[in-house]
Amino acid sequence: MVFSSLLFLFVFLPAVLLLYFASPRRLKNLVLFLTSLVFYAWGEPVYIAIMLLSTVTDYGFGLLLDNPKRPRLTRKWIVASSVVVNLSLLSFFKYADFLIGNVNSLLGTDIPPTDLPLPIGISFYTFQSMSYIVDVYRGTARAQRNWIDFGAFVALFPQLVAGPIVQYGSVAEQLKDRKVTVELFAEGVRRFTVGLAKKVLLANNIGLLWDGISGSSLDTLPALTAWLGIVAFAFQIYFDFSGYSDMAIGLGHMFGFRFNENFNKPYGAQSITDFWRRWHISLGTWFRDYVYIPLGGNRRGLKRQLLNILIVWLLTGFWHGASWNFVLWGLYFGIVLMLEKMWLLSWLRNVPGTVRHLYALAAILIGWVFFAFDRMPEMGTFFRALFGMNGHGLWNDETLYLAYTNAILLAVLAVASVPIAGRIAGSGLARLWRRSGAMQLVWHGVLFLLSIAYLVDATFNPFLYFRF
Amino acid sequence: MSARTNRLYVIGFVALLFGMSVLLLLLPKKSFSETENRLLQGLPELSWEAIKDKEFSKDAESYVTDHFPWRDKWVALKSEAEQLRLQQENNGIYKDKDGYLFEKFEEPAWEKVASYAEAVRKFAESHSDAKISFLLAPTSVGLYPERLPWLASSYSEEKVNDFIGSIVSESGTDSGTGSRSVSFLNGFDFLKPAAGEDLYYRTDHHWTTRGAYLAYAAFARSMGWSVKPESDFDIRTVTDSFLGSFHTKSQFSGAKPDTIEQYVPKKPAASEMTVADDGTKMEGLYAESYLSKKDKYSYFLGGVHALSEIRTELAPEDVSLDKLLVVKDSYAHSVLPFLALHVPDIHVIDIRYYNGSIADYMAENDIENVLLLFNTATFVSTPELLKLNN
Repeated sequence: MVFSSLLFLFVFLPAVLLLYFASPRRLKNLVLFLTSLVFYAWGEPVYIAIMLLSTVTDYGFGLLLDNPKRPRLTRKWIVASSVVVNLSLLSFFKYADFLIGNVNSLLGTDIPPTDLPLPIGISFYTFQSMSYIVDVYRGTARAQRNWIDFGAFVALFPQLVAGPIVQYGSVAEQLKDRKVTVELFAEGVRRFTVGLAKKVLLANNIGLLWDGISGSSLDTLPALTAWLGIVAFAFQIYFDFSGYSDMAIGLGHMFGFRFNENFNKPYGAQSITDFWRRWHISLGTWFRDYVYIPLGGNRRGLKRQLLNILIVWLLTGFWHGASWNFVLWGLYFGIVLMLEKMWLLSWLRNVPGTVRHLYALAAILIGWVFFAFDRMPEMGTFFRALFGMNGHGLWNDETLYLAYTNAILLAVLAVASVPIAGRIAGSGLARLWRRSGAMQLVWHGVLFLLSIAYLVDATFNPFLYFRF
Repeated sequence: MSARTNRLYVIGFVALLFGMSVLLLLLPKKSFSETENRLLQGLPELSWEAIKDKEFSKDAESYVTDHFPWRDKWVALKSEAEQLRLQQENNGIYKDKDGYLFEKFEEPAWEKVASYAEAVRKFAESHSDAKISFLLAPTSVGLYPERLPWLASSYSEEKVNDFIGSIVSESGTDSGTGSRSVSFLNGFDFLKPAAGEDLYYRTDHHWTTRGAYLAYAAFARSMGWSVKPESDFDIRTVTDSFLGSFHTKSQFSGAKPDTIEQYVPKKPAASEMTVADDGTKMEGLYAESYLSKKDKYSYFLGGVHALSEIRTELAPEDVSLDKLLVVKDSYAHSVLPFLALHVPDIHVIDIRYYNGSIADYMAENDIENVLLLFNTATFVSTPELLKLNN
C-alpha cells in the first residue's frame, strides 16, 4: 500500500487511527505492530515471512547480546551473525539475479535467474534491524525485551516502505513512552499534507514531462530538451522521495513519534559534500555510523580516508539498485567527493556563492543521468544529447512547447527546492503567514483537496522508491 | 500556531478522513459508469487465494477509486487545475481556442503498422476472386494538425496513411496468379476538399454524419455505383447535447456540446439488423434509446457488436450489389446506413471482438465483396488485424 492512494487515506488510515486511539495504552504498540503487518501484507502477502524472519532473529540476537558477562568474542560473533542473516536476505532477493546475469554474460554460462520480485522495503528494514544490533553491541542502546515493541519498531508502517531509516537509539524511549498532543497531531497533519502534495501534485506531474522526454527517441533530442528532461527527473525524484519522507514523519507525529529529518533542501547545496549532508540524511548517517567510521573514517591519514570514501560510495550506489548504473552513480559521487576533499572545496571557498551553487547543481544533474538510465547505450545517447553532440541543435518547437506548458510547475518546483523561505523568513509577509492560522489552514486544505482530485484522476501513480 | 488553530487542523483532518470513508461505505453503488463507459469494480471477494495472488488488494483499490464519492467532480477539478497551470492537454486531449478537442496522435511503431498492412494485402491475395476495398480515414487531428495549441505536435497521419497505402497496394509477386490488389481509399483524398465543413465532432473521436456521407460517396464511386446526392435526404438533427469521448477523457470545462445529424432518405427503405452476439433483432439502423444516454454515438447501429447482419428491403432497381462484408471499427457505424441503400444484405464484423475465421465466414455466406473501414488511430493500434488471415 502507498500513502498516496485513496485506499490508504480513506480506508486504512481512519481504521488505524480509530483502533489506536480507542485502545488502552499498553495495547497501542500491538495495534501499530499488527496494522503495520496488514499494511505490509497488502502488497506482499507472502514476503511478510521474510520481514518477520529478520525481525525475530534480530530480536533474539538482541537478547543474547544483552548479557554483559558474555565474552567479547562471543558478542562479536553475535553481531556478525545478525549482519550475515540480514545481508543474505538482502543479497538473495536484491542482488542474486544481477550476479547471475553478470556471471552468465562473463562466462557464457546459462544459469537461470530467480526472477523473484524484490520484497518491498527490504533495503530499509534490514538496515534498520542491523543498526539495532550494532547499537546494542556498542552499548549505545539497551536491548529490547518486549517483542511487541521491537516488532513495532521494525514494522512501523509510516517508515517501513521507504524510510527514513530510523536508528533504534533515536526511538527507543518513544517506543516505551510517548504522548500524542493536539499540537503534535496537528503538526503531523500539516507535514503529511505537504508531503502528499509534493508527491501527487509536484512529483507525479513533472514526472510526466520526464516520461515524455525519456520515452521519445533519444538520438534526435535537442540539447535543451535533454536538459529540461534531466531537470524534470531531478525534481521528480526529490519531490517524490522527500514527499514520502514528509508523509512518514507526519504520520509518525500522529502516533506520537518524532523521526529525524531525511532532507534539508538538497538542491540549495553549495558542493557535493554539502549535498550529501542534505539528501537522504538517514541513509548517509547510517553509512557514516556503521561503515565509514568503523573503517577508520578520516583518522588514519588522507589515503585511507579517500579509500573509505570510495568504499562507502560504491556501497551507497549499489544499495540504490542492483544494476551497474547505480554502481557508476556511486562511483561518480565517490570521485567527486574525493576531488572536493583534496582541493575543490578549498578552491570553491574563494568563488561567489552563486558559482558554488551552479557547480553543485551541474554535478548533481550529471549524477542523475547515471541514476536514470539502467541501460548503458541509452545513457550514452542521452549524454551526447545533453552536450549537443548528436547534431540535433539546441532546441526545436517541442522544446518550447514543453517549456511553456510546464513553466508554472517548474517555477513552483524551483521555489520549493531552494532555501528561499529561509531568506524571506524575516520579512513582514512571513511574519503575517506564521501568525495567521486561518491562512495556513486554508492553504493546507486546498493542497489536500487538490491532491485528492489528482489521485482520483490518476491511473498514473507509480512510486519510484519501490525499486530499492 | 495557536491552540485553537491546531484543534481545527485535527478536527478538519479527522472529519474529512472519516466523513469520506463513511460516504464511501454508505452511498449507493453503481455497477456501470456512464461517463467512463465501463463496468465498475464490484465488491472484492475475500479468499486466501485472492489475497495470495494480490487479486484482492488490486480489486479493493479499484473498488475504492471506482466508487469514490463525487468521482466526476474530482476529475473535473483536476482538469481545471491543469488548465490554470497553462497545461494545454489533459489526459492526452488538446483543446484549441474554438473549443475543438483533439487527441494527440503519436508516431506509431512502424514494424507493427507494416505487419497489419501486410495482413490486409495477404487477405486480398488469398481471396483473389473477391474485390477487397480498404478505406482508411484520418481522425480529426490528422486532418487539422494546424489547429493544435501553439507549438504542440502530433505525428502526421497523412504520412502513416501513405505508408499503409503503399504496402497494401503492392501487387502480388506473380501477376500470373491473377491476384488483384486492394482498392485503397485514402480518407485524406475525399475529406481534404471539404475540410472547411464540420467533418468531425468537436468533443468526440468520431466523424460526423457529413464526414460519413463523404466516405460513402468515395466508396460508392470506387465501386461504380451511382452516388445518391445529398438532396435525396432530409437532414435532421437528432440531438444537440452530445458530449463525446474526448470530453469524457479531458473533462475540459465549458465544452460546447455537439449535434448529431441523421440523413433520412426521401425514398425510405426498411432495414432490420440481427446481432449475432446475442441474437437480438433491431428494427431500423438507429437506437433511439442512446440519445438520452451519455454514449450518444451508439445511436448509430446501437454501438459495437462482434458480428451482425443488416437486411434491407430494396426495389430491384436500387440494388447495386447483393452482398457485402464490412470489417470495421466504429467509424463505419454512421456509414452503414448509406450502404444499406445499395446493398440488401450487409454482414458486419468488428475484428477486435470477432474470433472466427473470416475466410470461412466468406465461404459459408458466398461473399465476394469486402470493405475494410478503419480510422488511422485504430488501425495502427489493432493487433487483431493479424486475425484477418486466420
